[in-house]
Formats: sequence, structure tokens, C-alpha cells
Amino acid sequence: MSDRSAKAHTSVTDRVRALGPRRIAALAGCLLLLAPPLYLSSFWLQTGLFAMVAVIAAIGLNLLVGTAGQLSLGHAFFLAVGAYGYTWLADDTHRSGTADLSGLGLPPLLAFVAAVLLAGVAGAAFSPLSGRLRGMYLGVATLALIFFGHHAMLNAESYTGGFNGRTVPEMEILGLSLGDADDGLAVLGVPFGGLERLWYFGLVLVAVAALAARNLLKGRPGRALGALRDSEVAAAVMGVPAARYRAAAFTVSSMYAGAAGALLALAAQRVVPDYFSLLLSMDMLAMIVIGGLGSVAGAAAGAVFVSVLPQLLAHYSDALPLVVSAGSAEPGLGSADAARFLYGAALVLTLVFAPGGLVSLRGGRAARALRGLPRPRRPAPTLPSTSPQPSAGATTGGDTLKEHTP
Amino acid sequence: MIRDLLRRAPSPATASPHDEVPALTVEDVTVRFAGLTALDGVGFTVAPGTVHALIGPNGAGKSSCFNVLSGVYRAASGSVRFGEAELTALPPHRIAALGVARTFQNIVLTRGTVADNLMLGRQTLTRAGFTATALRLPSVVREQREHRERVREIAEFTGLGALFDAPVALLSYGDRKRVELARALCMEPRLLLLDEPVAGMNTTERLGMARTIAHIRDALGISVLIVEHDMGMVMRMADEVTVLDFGRRIGGGTPEDVQRDPAVVQAYLGGDPADTAADAATPAPAPDSAPEPGAPHMKESP
Repeated sequence: MSDRSAKAHTSVTDRVRALGPRRIAALAGCLLLLAPPLYLSSFWLQTGLFAMVAVIAAIGLNLLVGTAGQLSLGHAFFLAVGAYGYTWLADDTHRSGTADLSGLGLPPLLAFVAAVLLAGVAGAAFSPLSGRLRGMYLGVATLALIFFGHHAMLNAESYTGGFNGRTVPEMEILGLSLGDADDGLAVLGVPFGGLERLWYFGLVLVAVAALAARNLLKGRPGRALGALRDSEVAAAVMGVPAARYRAAAFTVSSMYAGAAGALLALAAQRVVPDYFSLLLSMDMLAMIVIGGLGSVAGAAAGAVFVSVLPQLLAHYSDALPLVVSAGSAEPGLGSADAARFLYGAALVLTLVFAPGGLVSLRGGRAARALRGLPRPRRPAPTLPSTSPQPSAGATTGGDTLKEHTP
Repeated sequence: MIRDLLRRAPSPATASPHDEVPALTVEDVTVRFAGLTALDGVGFTVAPGTVHALIGPNGAGKSSCFNVLSGVYRAASGSVRFGEAELTALPPHRIAALGVARTFQNIVLTRGTVADNLMLGRQTLTRAGFTATALRLPSVVREQREHRERVREIAEFTGLGALFDAPVALLSYGDRKRVELARALCMEPRLLLLDEPVAGMNTTERLGMARTIAHIRDALGISVLIVEHDMGMVMRMADEVTVLDFGRRIGGGTPEDVQRDPAVVQAYLGGDPADTAADAATPAPAPDSAPEPGAPHMKESP
């Protein structure tokens, strides 16, 4: 009897131990992410949503670059496919100004899923190249997608609205609009507008994206892709069909980009061609390199870092020395430029001091395994605090906080 | 005990789809690289359930031969038949699916743990695709669990049980070589191609590896084709030997026959064909005396 209770006791402590401080911290972090719509102003919510877009896209790109070892410079194209795809699928055919815009008028949620699939189809259509070309060579080939996409966005006016873009229809789930509907929805006295509602939609998407990527990485496909990255010959003789797996990785990655693009469209409420440039692709690569190649958490951390930094600098340009707000006539560094310099520096620092990315700085399993080994002669310096959370601004008060309605 | 472990019928889900071991018949295989003939009309047969050694000096074409067998190189002419299948017409992953596993001369492992690497060997025996894995369907979880159990058994068998969850980057050279062998075994092969399995190992590791390979043949009844420079090991383990030199087959037969073959002795020791008769008269190193380090066992410098 006492034996059994002792056993039960150990199993409970084991379970707590198995949960681990890291898991508990992650859980607490997730709960914390539910709070911002109650406290933060729309500026920060928008920033957070853009960060979520970046996280989803970076996780997808990381599957391709970090795990399969394939380079893509064309992922901005798949974001565009997702963004314009959602808009076209969900919008009705109507006349806007001088342009006739076509649309299928599907229910928004269905349009969202279809947009993701559309991006997947676009990615799969590229598989004759994505299956055959390796690493850098694929990267160069995907450049073509950027130019093709730009041309299509400007010229297929009835679909894209041309240079001026087109407005994005609101998301609606089971009759609940995720736009600025005037239905008086309020939580704890905070009126919930479009951004607040979208925030939770974005969180769900991020969670789904991260979990699916984790499952893929831990499972059979992830092992096959990792083997392809490390040695194509060895992978092939282990039974991995190289071309098929490379093409599949590219397709999955483009679906992630499609989901990110559709969320981006919802958050921005208007899609314009300029956003989907080569620069966006490069930003995404910077995210996964800074965050850590081949890791879901790394991609997320890098994405938050790269996407939030410019907004932080722009917002606090008055308070920071040398930095002036973008377009200001004062002498000093424009906040957008400052952000680029900063994350350029972060990229270099990461490559020099933490080639494994931000994720390698957090003492993980590898560190524990290495603990028994002799210390390296020159301990690797660590970078200062990592990913700024979207809620980082909450403590500074001022215009950041919401004005609570009593 | 180890034999029992491997003889034990694996659960139906993880059982190898291959029933009996067919013969591997290599006929008149020629491989050319832009004017250089790496293999020139090579032919030999690996009888089912035997250990067949492929030997020869550096550049003899042994690794090229392996690469043809595993589909990495395309033969210019000739045929390689494994049972009914014509291997020269198949891509590497299809050959792997037939139950042909190989190891590499230079260790080629994936980042991650020993378990990750061994699970890669189950690639052809598992089904989980991208969608099912991303959704973590129950069938995927079950498949993963069953195969992981079998893989752990194989790890125990090859002496990697304690290192199962260790990152391969932290393993010693000998252990990594062992992981390669275990990964090939995880494919439940009918034909195992071992490219210099003991190269660079110390004596203890060599003996351990030789014992493991002998166990594999005896317990699993599979064919083993082995490229090796350690003559002591070759002579002790092989049922049959094929000797290559400059891409041609210059001899073959039982280890004893090969050691007495003048052409073989000449290929290894050099010299005029006239001298070879005299060389052949003096007995080649006896099988049992050879494996000691320092003994002249025709080990080439790495």
C-alpha cells in the first residue's frame, strides 16, 4: 500500500520534472501573449501582427533553408501569392475608382485556406527547378520569381489592383467579423476592434505553424531533409528520393509563406506590390540566420527581432541619440536606416559569435551534453538580451498603453 | 544472446519486406570518367549469405564498384542483378528499397543524435508523409514508436545502446563508424555493402567490428560485400575474395587461393612478372598471423 503511494508520488514528481522549467516558461509565455490586446495600443498590436507574419514565414523558410539546405530568394513571391490570393478569393467583383476588380467572393475563412493552397500550388509548380537545383543555384533561380511576381502584380490589374493595390476584405469566422465591426464587442471593458480580434487569429496561426513544423522536423520527412542537406549521396542510398523531397520542402515552405502573406493582407488591410520585393526575401533570410538555422524557436526569435526592431526605433526615435524619425529634416540617422544598421550588426555578430543563431545561446540539450567536456579555451561571448517581446513597450507607458474605458 | 535478439521475429509492422536473400551477380561492368576507365569489364558473384571481400591496391576501382552497386554511379555497360532486379537501371533510393544497404569509406552522418541517424535507416520501411507527419496522425506516432523500438534493438546489437541519445558530433571515430554500420543494418538489408569498415580503427576496435560483422552474417543470413585493406581481417572473414587492379578483375576465389595467386601478389608487392613466380613460392602472410599492428598485413597508409 505504502509502496504504491510512494510510486504514485514519484510519478507525480517525475511528471513535474518532465514538464521542466523550460516548458513551464513557454506555457507562461503563451498565456502572456493572450494579454496584449487588452493593454496595448493599435500601433503595437499592428507591430505584433507583422511580427506574427514574419514568424510564420520564417518558420517555413527555415524548413527549406535550415533543414533541407536549399536557398530561396523568392519567398516574397509566395507571400504575395498568399496576400493577393486571399484578397481575390474573398473579395467580390466590384468597381473601385477607375479599375474593375474581379473576385470570387468566397467565405473569408475558406478563402484563407484556399490562398494557402494556392501558394502551395505555385510552389509545387516550381518543383522542376526546386527538385533539381541545389543550394545556391536554387536561390538564383528563385530570383526570377520576384521579377515575375512584380510584373504580374503591376499588370494583372483586375486581380491585383495594379500599382495602387486593393483593399483586403475582412476575415470572418462563424459569423464573427475580425474587422472593425461596430458590434460593440468588448472584453473586460476594452473595446475589441479588428486588430484585437486578428491578434488571436494570428496567435492560432502561429501555433499551428510552429507545431506542424516541429512535427515535420522530428518525423520522417525532417530526417530525410536533414540527410539531404548533409549529404545527398548518403541520403539517396538510405532511400530518400532527393528530387521529390526537395520539391516537397519547397512546396511546404511556400505554403507557410502563403499563410503569412494572407495574414499580412489582413493586418495591413491593403495589399500593394511594393511590399513584396527582394528586400522582404532578404529580411526573411536574415531572420532565420539571426535566429538559428533549422530550429523553429530560432526562426521565431529571429523573426520577432528583425520585424519589431524598425518599429521600436521609429517609435522611440525622439528618445534615442543620433536617431531621427524617418523623413525628418534634422541631422541624424533615419530610424529605418538605423534599424537596418542595427540588424546588419546583429547579423554579423551572430555569424561571428553564435553561428548557431540566437537559439544556440539559450543553454539547450547540446549544452548539457557538452557540460562533461573540457571547457573551450576561449569562452564564446554572449550577445545581450535576445528577442524583444511585443509587450516590451508596455512598461514605458505614454502612448503605448490603451486608454481603458471605465 | 545477441543472436537470439536478432533472430527474434520483429513485429509484423517492422518486419523486413524482403524474405530470402538472392545472389548478387555483377557481369562485365565498365565505368568511365571522361576517358579514364575506372572499371573495365568487372564481374563476380556474391553467393547468398556469404561474406565476399573486394580487395585491391588504391585506385583499383573498389569504391567505384560500390558506387555502381548502390546506384550512385551509372555503369557505361554491363549488368548488376540482385535477384530479379537490374540495379544498373535504378536510382539509389530504389536500390535501397530492394534491401541493399551500404556504409561509406568516409563517415557520412547527419547532424543530430545516434537515434536520429539510425531512424534515417528506416526510411524505406516507413510510410509517414509530409501531411500526416505535420498533423501528427496516430498512425505516424505508432509507426515512429514501433520502429524506434527496433532501432534501439539494433543499437544494442552493435554496441551503441548507451549512446542511443548522444549527438553523433560528440562520438569517437570508432563509434561513428559503428553508427554507420548500425544505420545500414536499420534498413533490414539483404545485401550489406561495407566500404572499409575498420579503416582508421585501433586493434581493439577492429576486433570488435570484425566480431559484429561475423555476427551479422551468422545471425541474419544476409550477404555482405566488403572492401577492406586489412588483409588479416579479409582472410579471416571472407568466404570468397575478388581482387581488382587498375579497374580489372585480376583474381578471385577462396582467401587461400588468392594468397597463392601470382598475379595478386604482384599487384600488391609490385615487381616483374618473372619475379612473381619466386614470390608466389614463398607463402604469403598466414591468415592468423596477420592482424597484429606492425605486422606486414598490406595495410595502405590512409
